[in-house]
Amino acid sequence: MRPAGVAARWALLAPMVLLSAAPIAWMAIAALRPGDQPLAAGSPWWPDQPTLANVVGLFGDPQFSRWVSNTALVTAGTLLIGLVTSLLAGYALAYLDVPYSRSLVLVFFATYLLPQAVLFIPLLRMVSRLHLLNSPAALVLTYPSMVIPFGTWVVWSFFRRLPPDLVDSARADGAGVYATIVHVLLPVVWPALATVGLYAVAVVLNDYLYTTTFIQEPSGQTITGALGALITADIDNPGRSFAAALLAAAPLAVVCAFFADAFARGLSTGIIEQ
Amino acid sequence: MERAEARPQVVLPLRTPRRRPSRRNLLIAGALLAPAAVLSLGLIAYAIGLEAWFSVSDAGPGTNGTFVGLANFQYLAGLDTFWQTVENTGIYSGASTAVKLALGLGMALALARPFPGRRLVYALLFLPFIFPVVLGTIAWFFLLSNVNGGLDWLLIRAHLMAQPFEWTGRLPMVSVVAVNVWHGTALFAVLLLAALRSIPRDLMDAAAVDGAGRLRRFVHIVVPFLRPAALLAVVLSLLGNFGDYAIVELLTRGGPLGRSQVVSTFAFENALISGYIGVGAAVALVMVPVYVAALAVAYRLLGRE
Repeated sequence: MRPAGVAARWALLAPMVLLSAAPIAWMAIAALRPGDQPLAAGSPWWPDQPTLANVVGLFGDPQFSRWVSNTALVTAGTLLIGLVTSLLAGYALAYLDVPYSRSLVLVFFATYLLPQAVLFIPLLRMVSRLHLLNSPAALVLTYPSMVIPFGTWVVWSFFRRLPPDLVDSARADGAGVYATIVHVLLPVVWPALATVGLYAVAVVLNDYLYTTTFIQEPSGQTITGALGALITADIDNPGRSFAAALLAAAPLAVVCAFFADAFARGLSTGIIEQ
Repeated sequence: MERAEARPQVVLPLRTPRRRPSRRNLLIAGALLAPAAVLSLGLIAYAIGLEAWFSVSDAGPGTNGTFVGLANFQYLAGLDTFWQTVENTGIYSGASTAVKLALGLGMALALARPFPGRRLVYALLFLPFIFPVVLGTIAWFFLLSNVNGGLDWLLIRAHLMAQPFEWTGRLPMVSVVAVNVWHGTALFAVLLLAALRSIPRDLMDAAAVDGAGRLRRFVHIVVPFLRPAALLAVVLSLLGNFGDYAIVELLTRGGPLGRSQVVSTFAFENALISGYIGVGAAVALVMVPVYVAALAVAYRLLGRE
């Protein structure tokens, strides 16, 4: 590439990288702030005596462990329900000659696009009727409704691109539904499931509306809901909240580092190469 | 199944011919589809039904209320804050999407060819997207704060400003759009990058050999290849942003004085804080026409291939 092209590329990329990373860097640095040193003391960008006390302190904090275990529970439930139901539905739609299967897939796709803000008011009523208010179970019940439409559609479109002989020959050998799914399809469908799984984790960690609507007591809250509520309480020194936020974001970052490519590919093949 | 084999094969062997399913197969298919259908379509259909009822009722906390016709919608139609909310939501959604498309396109083009450090740059640009939006917004809340905020401190140090500026108070819409763009640009870049990679090299090379310059190749080859991906990213973003809640709620709470109020925060306020569930449901239903329009565009896009 010509030097002018290289210069143009970095003129574009350098500020973008800086702006992308700065807020997270700011969060990471403020997390190193000692508890008795508010943002007002010295530079808000660099504490006088950086310390890991905030991070270490979180591990013994019963409230924080509560939020983490709530989040883990909700994530595990959403993942399990989302993956299993999407796999089964995607299989049925792709291989079992369901009448109007294409229209059904379109219905699932349409549901995936529905903004969650349309539904939170009636869902709150449903959750309270089921006596699930303030319980993480309310989220395990409602988050899959956001994951399954996307998941079914991704799994279905993945199956549709597989060579049909794969399943046909397994069936000719006498494999039933269970054997076909578990022994023939599961070993090849994992990139699609990884995409759906990442999406499910993202649904849990990005939601603020359902979690704050259905759960009003801090003890039942997920980590994102709880930290959002702390925002004004921590105005002088957000170090502890920041440390907690970074710890909460870390699992997703690690998973993404491994699966980012698979995710991007799954997402773009799902959407573009329909 | 057996019937299909008896039929003469006229279709290309790439696709299995459509078979008439046996009753047993239909039962199995139904059983496999049921959990997904009940937990997503069933739950959503139930919620939409209840929402529609709420919007024509005087429902309050704990009561389903009585039928009041279109009173809730009439009330909203006469309410200035409602129209401001709709306008804000449109601006928020439109401006965020436009900026993300422009920046995402730049990002994708700059990342298209390999260069030293590309992997690291890609990871750093992708970071805001995988960082949970609630947590990212919390970081921005403190960055933009006029009390010891990180941005003010930098600008004052650089002598660009004499005293702290109240970003979220004075420029609430700009602030929420900025955070949205920060979070969502990477998704545009990823989708556009995937489309860029699908351009056959031969095509570009052949065009270059035929004497087409950079600009002509961009306009006549790159743009047509990018269009479906770009359009779909735009539709997804417009729709997603129209129902956005977390960024606005955490950064400005819809304020000051409703200047950054959007549909979801307004519905939340009416239904859950003031207790007018009917009015809140009517506000939330405002998203439905936008949703239907976006759906029509998305279907046309998917159906064309």
